[in-house]
Amino acid sequence: MADNATTPLIETRGLVKKFGSFTALNGVDLTVYPGEVHALLGDNGAGKSTLIKILSGVFKPTDGEIIVEGRPVSFASPRDATNAGIGTVYQDLALNALTSVTRNFFLGREITHFSSPFGLLKMGEMDRIATEEMAKIGINVADPNQPVGTMSGGQRQTLAIARAIYFGAKVLILDEPTSALGQKQQMEVLKTIRKVQKLGDIAIILITHNEIHARLIADRFTFLSLGEVIGRGTSKELEGDDIKRLMAGGAEIGDLAKELAD
Amino acid sequence: MNSSASTRQESDRLASKSWLKSLLARPEIGPIGVMLLLFGMLGYFSIPAGEFSLNPFAGEGFNALGIRNNLRVIAQLGIIALGAGLLIIAGEFDLSIGSMIGFAGACMAMVLRWGFAIVIPYISFEGGMHVEFFTLFYIDNVSPIGAIMITMCFTLFFGWLQGFIVVRSGLPSFIVTLGGLFFLRGLTEVSLRAFNHRPDQTKGATTVTELPDIKNIIDVPGHGEMERESAKALPEADLMAILKDVPADTIASITERLQYTAQRVADAKTQIMATKGVKPLERALENAIESGNETMAETIRNKIDTFVVNPVVPKEITDIDVARAYIDSISSARPIANFFGGDILEPIFDFLYFPVDWNTNNFGNQFAPGLYSCVMIWVILAILCYVVLSRTQAGNWIYSTGGNLQAAKANGVPTDRVKISLFVFSAFCATIFATCQVFEVNTADAAKGNLKELEAIAAAVIGGIVMTGGFGTVVGIIVGAFIFGLAKEAFFYIPGIDGSFYRVFLGLVIIASALLNENIRKRIMGTL
Ligand SMILES: Nc1ncnc2c1ncn2[C@@H]1O[C@H](COP(=O)(O)OP(=O)(O)O)[C@@H](O)[C@H]1O
Ligand SMILES: [Mg+2]
Repeated sequence: MADNATTPLIETRGLVKKFGSFTALNGVDLTVYPGEVHALLGDNGAGKSTLIKILSGVFKPTDGEIIVEGRPVSFASPRDATNAGIGTVYQDLALNALTSVTRNFFLGREITHFSSPFGLLKMGEMDRIATEEMAKIGINVADPNQPVGTMSGGQRQTLAIARAIYFGAKVLILDEPTSALGQKQQMEVLKTIRKVQKLGDIAIILITHNEIHARLIADRFTFLSLGEVIGRGTSKELEGDDIKRLMAGGAEIGDLAKELAD
Repeated sequence: MNSSASTRQESDRLASKSWLKSLLARPEIGPIGVMLLLFGMLGYFSIPAGEFSLNPFAGEGFNALGIRNNLRVIAQLGIIALGAGLLIIAGEFDLSIGSMIGFAGACMAMVLRWGFAIVIPYISFEGGMHVEFFTLFYIDNVSPIGAIMITMCFTLFFGWLQGFIVVRSGLPSFIVTLGGLFFLRGLTEVSLRAFNHRPDQTKGATTVTELPDIKNIIDVPGHGEMERESAKALPEADLMAILKDVPADTIASITERLQYTAQRVADAKTQIMATKGVKPLERALENAIESGNETMAETIRNKIDTFVVNPVVPKEITDIDVARAYIDSISSARPIANFFGGDILEPIFDFLYFPVDWNTNNFGNQFAPGLYSCVMIWVILAILCYVVLSRTQAGNWIYSTGGNLQAAKANGVPTDRVKISLFVFSAFCATIFATCQVFEVNTADAAKGNLKELEAIAAAVIGGIVMTGGFGTVVGIIVGAFIFGLAKEAFFYIPGIDGSFYRVFLGLVIIASALLNENIRKRIMGTL
């Protein structure tokens, strides 16, 4: 699926992030192409969340470059990243559980009759769009006025993803989208990711701990350990054991078995 | 595999509710129930002892004057509950509302009484070091709108400042506005005492009195602007002169109306005399029956049956009466003062007296002139708040700021601006409350508004606002204000009960509401 001839959608070169004297990222290169699902894997504390927080404008890198569609960029705020087409679906999803699906879908970007905070909401139009956009990636909401709190975890993921896409995300960053979910809902989210992939050119950066999920839907892998890239490749290039080994931080299964035996 | 099972979705598991169930799931339904209960209590308990009626509106609680007074209490609380409630929905508190009312009232009354000046103190070295004051400007005669604007400048600034400190420092608004509560109350007392050093004031008093009745300043033909009461007290010759230019049909309708009143008053007097006259006879009859004196009882019975009083003759209507009634009908020359402190719906209340004869007191006069203007202001503010909260972008921002601050921020909602605006709005509501009060009673007192912040928060909680924010409606806040105001009245009328029981009742209602609100919130959050 990924075609190396095309320009990468998003690229980082030598990204460094220091928290005081602690180096969370130490020269990370990441290349993501249009239309691919790019799995970002690594142990706890490897620096995955730090990396995506830089990409989504939450942190500023200490050093290094971010290049979006061939142009170097610098984000002063999450807003800048959103405007550059980077949509982040956080672990807590940034939803207000107490209000409706539609109100969450358009949160901060409501459609109003006059472009003023006191302009009346175009509720009908917003309901229609929210329902349509969520249907596109696989969920039929029975009632766009139902509070988000009454939806399942998988449905909330879909809502957050549909929202990011509708507001122009070219790269979707999903930070452990399946970690807090049950088996059935995890599959729902994977299906949603597939549907997004089928929409066309949207790239997805998927952070996960789950090797099986990564294997099931990722086209390309980048492995982080202790703030550095220790391996990368497409799904074809990597053998089954490679993934397991790199996820464990580069140690051989044999070494681990030995460590346990000691 | 069963095909219908495979097409089933997570969303199908949300059972569709019947209209009755979804009505009962509305957060306002509990409070509305309590409100209706209190309506009934107020109605039935206020039916005079010894009378029987199935109609709760026969009670004193719902006669014209009862409605006028109850709605005033409810509307006043309702105004500040809107400010407090919206702020709580956005996740913050304002404990300074009561002090803000006191400050705003005092500020407005002082400006109306003594004018407004900006004075710059500086240190002078001429003839020894001492402080001198340079008056930048001084406006002596400030109009009502001017006084309101000047007051708003101060109160809205204090509201803004509290909001600014809260969002910048991250301190709980509880602490910041607690500071505001003491600061403003103290500032009010200090400045009132400072101004009352003037020779024309009682030294050390924390009140402003002797304001003219501004809303009742009228333009009297041939005399210029004066207070209505002084106009009515003009010499008879002057009154007759005023009447000269009044059109004949106006005079005719005023006269007709005065004759109606005179007739009602005369009827009432006749009625009173009749009851007074028969009462002793009835008592004598009882005694006679008790002592078994049949002949005596018979005589008294005859006397009762033939008892008549001569009907009281209605008072003659003079031209002076007509002139005074005409002066009563002249509209205010200070529309702003009248807007806040005057009455509304007067034509309807007039109609209910003449010809309907419902708005009539025991002496035959018109009972209530209309409703207090603050009721209208409450209605206007409530409609605005409803539209903003449920139908605009700003409303969605308010809900999300209180519901999930991080989510709101991540989606670009200007949460700091939302919060600061609502602190300002809360101060605005407090100022409106004070404005109505100042123009209604023409006095101010540093103690005004004491504990009002807690009443406002209580009304909001009773109306279904969740203290942690993000949840509640304007309809709920309105119902909460009704419950609070009605409880006080309803308990007052319960025979043989201490009126303070209304506080006991409200305390329980507050706790019950808070439990209920939390339960509804958890159900929506999916954690129950
Ligand atoms: N704001 C921060 N300040 C200091 N250290 C941080 C901060 N955020 C993350 N870290 C550290 O950086 C390292 C990488 O964290 P993170 O990116 O969250 O890892 P991952 O998501 O891969 O589990 C961890 O050791 C973490 O303690
Ligand atoms: Mg993480």
